[in-house]
Amino acid sequence: MKVLLEKLLVNYPYVAAVILFMIGALTVLTRSNLFKKLLGINIMESAIFLMFVAGGNIRGGAAPILGEVNPKSVYINPLPSALMLTGIVVSVSVTAFALALIVRLYKSYGTTDARRISQLRDEVTER
Amino acid sequence: MLALILALSSGVVGGLIVAVMPQARSRLRNLVVLVFSVSGTIFSWQVALMVFAGENFRIVGEFGGLAWSLDPDPLGAVFGLIASTLWLFTTVYSFGYMAGKHKQRTYYTFLLISFSVTLGVAFSGNLVALYLFYELLTFATYPLVIHERSSGAVKAGAKYILYNLSGAGALLIAIVITYGWAGNLDFAGGPILANCLKNGLNWLLVLFTIGFGVKAAIMPLHRWLPAAMVAPTPVSALLHAVAVVYSGVYGILRVVYSVFGHELMAELSFSSMLPLIAAFTILVGVTIATQQDVLKRRLAYHTISQLSYILLGAFTLQPSGLTGAILHMISYSTLKVTLFFCAGIIAEQTGEIKVSKMGGVGWSLPMTMAAFGIASLGMIGMLPLNTFWSKYYLMKGSVAGGRWPLALVLIASGIINAVCFIPTVVTAFRGKSVQPNAERGGRVALMLAPTLLLAAIALSIGLWPGIVWPGVQAVVNWFF
Amino acid sequence: MIASITANLPVFVVIAPLFVAFVLPTFARRMRLVEGLVIFVETLGLVGAGYLASIVLRQKGIPIIYQLGGWPAPWGIELEAGSLGVFFLLVISGVSLPVSLFAKGNLTEEVGSKERVARFYVLYLLLGGALAGMAVTNDLFNVFVLVEVATLSCCGLVSARNHPRAAEAAFTYLIMATLGSTLVLGGIGFLYMVTGHLNMGFASQELGRIWQDYPHVVWMAVSFILVGFGVKSAIFPLHVWLPDAHSTAPSPASAILSGLAVKGYLICLLKFLYSVFGPELMQKFAVHRILALVGAVAIIAGSVLALTQEELKRRLAYSTVAQVGYIILGFGLVNTKGLTGTLFYLASHAVIKSTLFLAAGAMLAATGKKNVRELAGVGRKMPITMAAFTVGSLGLIGIPLFSGFIGKWYLLLGSLEAGNILSVAVIIAGSVLCAAYLLPVIRGAYFEPGPEEDWKDPGLPQKIALILLVAAIVILGVVPGPFLELAKRAAAELLALQ
Repeated sequence: MKVLLEKLLVNYPYVAAVILFMIGALTVLTRSNLFKKLLGINIMESAIFLMFVAGGNIRGGAAPILGEVNPKSVYINPLPSALMLTGIVVSVSVTAFALALIVRLYKSYGTTDARRISQLRDEVTER
Repeated sequence: MLALILALSSGVVGGLIVAVMPQARSRLRNLVVLVFSVSGTIFSWQVALMVFAGENFRIVGEFGGLAWSLDPDPLGAVFGLIASTLWLFTTVYSFGYMAGKHKQRTYYTFLLISFSVTLGVAFSGNLVALYLFYELLTFATYPLVIHERSSGAVKAGAKYILYNLSGAGALLIAIVITYGWAGNLDFAGGPILANCLKNGLNWLLVLFTIGFGVKAAIMPLHRWLPAAMVAPTPVSALLHAVAVVYSGVYGILRVVYSVFGHELMAELSFSSMLPLIAAFTILVGVTIATQQDVLKRRLAYHTISQLSYILLGAFTLQPSGLTGAILHMISYSTLKVTLFFCAGIIAEQTGEIKVSKMGGVGWSLPMTMAAFGIASLGMIGMLPLNTFWSKYYLMKGSVAGGRWPLALVLIASGIINAVCFIPTVVTAFRGKSVQPNAERGGRVALMLAPTLLLAAIALSIGLWPGIVWPGVQAVVNWFF
Repeated sequence: MIASITANLPVFVVIAPLFVAFVLPTFARRMRLVEGLVIFVETLGLVGAGYLASIVLRQKGIPIIYQLGGWPAPWGIELEAGSLGVFFLLVISGVSLPVSLFAKGNLTEEVGSKERVARFYVLYLLLGGALAGMAVTNDLFNVFVLVEVATLSCCGLVSARNHPRAAEAAFTYLIMATLGSTLVLGGIGFLYMVTGHLNMGFASQELGRIWQDYPHVVWMAVSFILVGFGVKSAIFPLHVWLPDAHSTAPSPASAILSGLAVKGYLICLLKFLYSVFGPELMQKFAVHRILALVGAVAIIAGSVLALTQEELKRRLAYSTVAQVGYIILGFGLVNTKGLTGTLFYLASHAVIKSTLFLAAGAMLAATGKKNVRELAGVGRKMPITMAAFTVGSLGLIGIPLFSGFIGKWYLLLGSLEAGNILSVAVIIAGSVLCAAYLLPVIRGAYFEPGPEEDWKDPGLPQKIALILLVAAIVILGVVPGPFLELAKRAAAELLALQ
């Protein structure tokens, strides 16, 4: 038990990632408000980003910038951070696209609630 | 070689020509149908005679890395002969029966296409080609089954497709397993599995039996056959008494003698079960038939029973049993088509489809009922008719195989057949005639002529069995 | 000259559609130019893929490797046009060329103004580029990026139809798909943490050496990737988004989504399973059993759901769920025959399902009728469309002479070799069910009397597209020769990796 707790404490970024992931997944699956669904997705993605970056981190390591006089000999792995930059860009574009869709849905149905929309679905015809 | 290609293609070509012809030109269409049926028949006779003379045809090809081959052997030639000859009769009968009915173009198109596909089943030289044509036959005959377009017909059609596709599925699995074990699917060169002694052979036989048994209407896989009687009578006569069901029977004969071989079959425990299944189907089928009041349904259940005669003969694994099976294939088909033709004439000319209401029909349709009577005697197995000989050999085969109770089954079935048909004939001649004489006019003549001719053929085979003997001998010598 | 073309082809087939996609909006008002450019670039893709295939076949399976920026493997990013990649490239270009022909001059009704059509084509080409990338990529993170590009363009294509329901379906799709790609990214993260490599070959080697030290992490990676791609490729029960998305999209988009996009994710999953985890590890973690079981359930459930659908396009969409089941089931047969079958089936379904969706779209456009029952009598009035639909249906059922049969044949051989009787039974049962949901459409179209209305076959480009696809179905079914050879070689390579 003690060992487990110690492990959890030492690896706190991962614990945080797991908690964030849970929160995000729960929000996506249980909320009917489209904005909240989108927020849930964003939280989930942040969890994964956190996990990735934490995986590349070395405690006490320095930023891997060569050429600068650096007292430490340990550098952190820059690759995960670089990858996550791409990930963030992807996530932003997903968010933008989803927001555009929400706007379109709001214009046609007058609501951003998924349940309400499915009720209204049959009443709104092709424009 | 050319004869084989022409025999196979004349149906499809004719069907496609009919399909693009204008709907209204019915005389021209009948002419085209006749020409292509005759050519298909002539060429398949030519192929069959050449096969009996010992000549070898072989066309091979490949699709998707799977080799197919067309390679008629005596068994295939016999089946091809039966199918093509009866096809010609049915075509002529159809000209009378279908005159003035709806959707004739669709009817003739698919009738001709089914002709080619059936010949394909008969002449296929390996399991891949057999499977291909067997599957295509379901689809080619489907439009004929739902010809009435009523909701009952559509339901029957759905049942037809469901049963037959499931059977084809079982068959496909069986073929895949065979391919995996033997690496070869050709019929030529002895039984495919002759040298494969494996544990699963019994199960493989079960799969094959289910696969072909659906079309051969082995109980309990027979349900589609009575349902399919909604089709026009010529279709019921030809397809559901001969062509389609025979493709199943033919498939089982192939499985027994070309896939497993009679030597390997004798060692399998399931193969001793098979005659029992056939005997069960024979007795139960004909018993149900006696209960049916609608004549076509009675004939359908009777078909189920009779098909198992052929299977019983094949399952005895004796030369005399196989002789009986092949003889019965020939004899039964002529008689059954006659019976169906009569039923069609009765229904068309008097409007009666129920046996119980046919009192007096015999007086208004004397020649029809005469043919019906002859065919009924044949179904019992009376001497002047051809089925006497086939039953004789079937019994001989059962006894030779050491299973004399099966001979008793055959005798019992003969008695139930008598119960089934004799009262029908008697009823027809009891009571006053409803209409004066309904056998007049060109339309009836077109229906009556093939009916009487077939009855005559059945009678002459019974009197001189020697005319079919060379073909039967060729098949038996091929496998034993 | 030829050598340099060959060397650069793997990257060219990916870049060309992407590049054209970005210049396309500049000619948005000149529709003919836009359509011409799209068809041109698709043709170019087909020629490129065919050329690559011929080279790979001639080299006996030695892949053409392209190093992006000239950086060698563990550091740089590799594109690998091996048998599998080339096979899938052929499928992509072989399907998307006829689909873009079908779309020619046919989109304004469903999509709207010229600008919107141009934007549709932008997304269409982006999707094509992303799929081509998935075929040749050899890098874990690139897979994620390409998957995201594909996802976004798919959602865009779904929402392209001028209808609020399209937006709704697209939103559901977007949320589900992003959920999936987040999981995939997580899985890639776990793999990277364990192996320290993003190149598939190196990651696989490293994984084979050290998986025993981190069994839990590897398990997490496997399950994240399975579920992630499971959502994206609509493996039952993760398929909930698919019927809405695929049935509300414009018809060419439905065809490409059901025919190709889903297949792209499946190919990625295949690469993860066989090129990264490897067959040995899969068997240790019993992943192949899970796959076979999930596939079997998907076949039955998808088919039964398809049976209950009245709307033709929805029926086809559910049928995709069932057919994906076949492919997943094939992934679980860890032998050459099974994998050959699954790859061939993937290609055959791509062609067949696009044919069916295009034919259904043409019927919907001509008649305005959505439901199967209302399409009675359409066979006589739209002969070419319905003939294409019939051939597609027969192919999907698995009648010999059409492509589906070959796939099923090899799947059956593979199942028997794996001793998996359940999957044998399910494959056959699926065929029968497939007949049960497709044949009524054909029966109604040909054998039932229809209303006295003037329904017509679509225009010439649409007819050509349908005929091309039908020809592909028949050719794949009768003379699959080199194509089957590629599939066999790809299967052998996937298995021999470890």
